Amino acid sequence: MAALLVPRHRRPPAIYRVARALRWVSAIVLIALVIFAGTVAYSAVEVARSSVQSRSLSASFASNGTVAVAGSFTLSNPGLYPIQGVTLTARIANSAGVFLGAFGVGPNDIAPSTTGVFPIALYLPVSASGPTKSLLTEDQYLAVNAWGNATYAYLFPLSVSLSETRYWGAPFEGFHASVGTPSGGGGAITVPIVVTFSDHASSPDVGTLAFVIESSNFVDCGGGSFPLDVPAGSLYDHTDTATLSPGCSPSGGQLLATYSSAGGTTPLPPEAIP
Amino acid sequence: MSVSGRVVVPAQETGGYQIPSLGYRILVAALRLIPSFFLLVALPVAALTFVNSRGIALPISIFEVEAWGLVLLALGTARYISKPTRAYGPLSVAVSLMALLYLLYALTLSPYRLVIPGGSASVAAGYSMFLELAMVVPAIGIVVGLLITFEDARSPKERLPFDFPA
Repeated sequence: MAALLVPRHRRPPAIYRVARALRWVSAIVLIALVIFAGTVAYSAVEVARSSVQSRSLSASFASNGTVAVAGSFTLSNPGLYPIQGVTLTARIANSAGVFLGAFGVGPNDIAPSTTGVFPIALYLPVSASGPTKSLLTEDQYLAVNAWGNATYAYLFPLSVSLSETRYWGAPFEGFHASVGTPSGGGGAITVPIVVTFSDHASSPDVGTLAFVIESSNFVDCGGGSFPLDVPAGSLYDHTDTATLSPGCSPSGGQLLATYSSAGGTTPLPPEAIP
Repeated sequence: MSVSGRVVVPAQETGGYQIPSLGYRILVAALRLIPSFFLLVALPVAALTFVNSRGIALPISIFEVEAWGLVLLALGTARYISKPTRAYGPLSVAVSLMALLYLLYALTLSPYRLVIPGGSASVAAGYSMFLELAMVVPAIGIVVGLLITFEDARSPKERLPFDFPA
């Protein structure tokens, strides 16, 4: 009978011990995952509440024949986990679908309890020729497509895409320059130049407007310039006088206007002279 | 001193074992259902209902969540009640396999694409890596179930003194 006694402190069978150890591992992993998921959800809500903020966005004429849209946007991360590899790419097209410009930021990481600041620099061409000239003189809606990518809390990749139209107020909306009837005789012959437009941009047109009257055979007949200080959102109507070169007829030619500001010189669309 | 088969098992040395009655196991299993139901059914359904009430499309239907949750609850309850029997191992495998299938099904729904009401923006959130990590738990559960099944086949009732110490 004594031989049948089970030894003291009998150990569980090996398979049972392995199974029990695995069960412990499984339970620990499960608890860790539940805690991780809970804290990720809480942190994600905090990040969503803080939302993206853009600030100090400004548009101005740049020296390279473009309008520069500069500024920054901030993304706060009040959560417990980092936001890694934040990238943003945006593509702008005009109302005709012609590509105007693009910008990209990142990749950047935003550590927990910090705020990431991302500078934006977008240059929109505003030349007097080519498909983008209408930005100078035509209000329109621009198509903005943006894509962003990031990884949150190491395991959750996120991607955001945004498509929307943004109103573009032209700085020389409805620009029109006309050459009046020449007057005078014998000595100097002068012509009145009438310039009208509206500044629908968010910034004033401050600088100088220079103009040149060109004959039909591309001979410079004369010109002039005058200071410009047009507040944003206002109508401009100005009459100036140009002195023509002797024997030079503007009829059938064109009037070339150039806007110069602190940012640079921008040619405006030429106006035909009847 | 108790007798188990041909082996005399002194209760004070091995601990012996005492299997709870079926009624007691059913009662405990029913009590375990409360937190399990909250975690597997009530909480996910409440979250989905909250999201749906704000006009956001759901990644998975509420019915599917309820169905998967109830199946897992039923299998888990049966597993607990059958713990002293040889069905415990296979049922452990079944529960873990079902949980693994649930996670695999959820994996096919990743990434979750959310279109912001208004249609101008969309957000895609991937959770594949998290689910793949979570699959470790049922995968281990399957191995544990297979080990118990093998142990019960090799030496029936050998684990009982350790599962149900007196």
